[in-house]
Amino acid sequence: MIRLRSVSKEYERRTILDALDLQVDAGEFVFLTGPSGAGKTTLLRMLYAAEHPTEGEVWVAGRRIDEMVRAQLPLLRRKIGVIFQDFKLLRRKTVLENITFVLRIHGIAPREAHRRSMKVLRRLGLQNRQAAFPDALSGGEQQRVAIARALAYQPRLILADEPTGNLDADLASELLSLLCDINYQGATVLVATHDHAILESIPARTLVLHQGQIHYDGMWPP
Amino acid sequence: MIRHAFAEGLIVLRERAVVSVILAFALGVPIAFAGVGLTLQHWLGPVADLSGQKSSVAVLLHPQMESGERRRWIAEIAIDHPRWTVSEVSSSDLAERLQRWFPYLEDLINSGDAALPSLVEILTDNPDSVTVLEGRAEVLAIGPRSSIQQTLGRVARGLALIVGVVSFVLLAVAVLLAAVWVHLELYRHSDEVIIMRLVGATEGTIRGPFLVAVAIPGLVAGILSVVGSLVTVSGLSQLASALGLSAMSIPASVLAGQLAAGVFLPLLAAVVTLARYAADATEG
Repeated sequence: MIRLRSVSKEYERRTILDALDLQVDAGEFVFLTGPSGAGKTTLLRMLYAAEHPTEGEVWVAGRRIDEMVRAQLPLLRRKIGVIFQDFKLLRRKTVLENITFVLRIHGIAPREAHRRSMKVLRRLGLQNRQAAFPDALSGGEQQRVAIARALAYQPRLILADEPTGNLDADLASELLSLLCDINYQGATVLVATHDHAILESIPARTLVLHQGQIHYDGMWPP
Repeated sequence: MIRHAFAEGLIVLRERAVVSVILAFALGVPIAFAGVGLTLQHWLGPVADLSGQKSSVAVLLHPQMESGERRRWIAEIAIDHPRWTVSEVSSSDLAERLQRWFPYLEDLINSGDAALPSLVEILTDNPDSVTVLEGRAEVLAIGPRSSIQQTLGRVARGLALIVGVVSFVLLAVAVLLAAVWVHLELYRHSDEVIIMRLVGATEGTIRGPFLVAVAIPGLVAGILSVVGSLVTVSGLSQLASALGLSAMSIPASVLAGQLAAGVFLPLLAAVVTLARYAADATEG
């Protein structure tokens, strides 16, 4: 599902990723961890083509994405559900509209989009907040809306950047079990986190990123 | 995608209702002016055509020129100036004209005592060129070089040109206004555009609502301009009739053009603006 070959990324002569090689097979659940500034977010951004490598090749779902032109990106991004660290919710739309909007972009009919949105909102306990605007929600609620949006169109790959950062322990645990369910249904899940409690809660392949290189690749704890 | 574009475009319009109405008026006024301008050009057309017509300049030759000498001179002039049509007015024709213009000379003309000068008429599209004959010994006088029709034609042509230029400038301003409006809306919605791109929206899905949001005020502008120009032309027509001039009416093609301009000019401005600036709203 994901393959990186000698991927490097530099910002103003500072190396963020250094000749990184990585393979994640379809259906895997992988944690990506490391200290702040290790390159976790940069790596995730590369996987949905918001960032281009300085060198190397990035392959996602069988396509080399670092060479894709702008017109090819929408189709790639429709296969990927991204849970952004800063949520990226549409401020002028309600919770329900934030989700149906994405489904409509994906070509799903309005009625079906509404049905699917309500289903995922119920799953994340947000059905009573469907008419609220993002600014009226707590950080945790906004996080859950961002998660609901990423899950609504049942993507083949889920990339989550610190998805539990604004959730309490119970909600974090609930979210992880949700991601596990989705992974069990066949989706590949890559979760970037620096929360060790989360890493220890699920036995999964863990990549430790440090100074732009993978220092550890295996089950956690080592 | 079209339904989505309309739904989102209407949301943009609802959010910016007042600005959209102002935009519709700002687009409608110059389009209406252009419609009235084209109608005026159409109406002035036959008069303006007069300025291009050939006119006849009268040249009086010396009365002591003999007929043979006169014929040679006319032939020589015709060769030197191939674009002139030179013709001699017969003495009987000249006598008849003189009697008509100056009835009190009737007795003198009929007595045969007066030596009448020879009159030559030169038909040309450039009456001023006849001045080259001034000062020649054979030429006694040259008549007026422009007719009232030509003067009227020149004025009408100038007026039509001014109306055309002003209409063009106003339309250009309207297009620029639409482009600026789309640019501002794009800037206002840049966060949404970034998010839409990240969740897999195509460029058509992203740009569609902006096109709808500019096409609807454009259509309203087209309708307003048609109503405005109909009212204006009706008023001008009444004025023309009161002055004894022919009535004015807007050609159907001008009305259709106004409606089309209302929709397509802002759309064109939006397409160009989006092509130029929408790509800037991106992450990485």
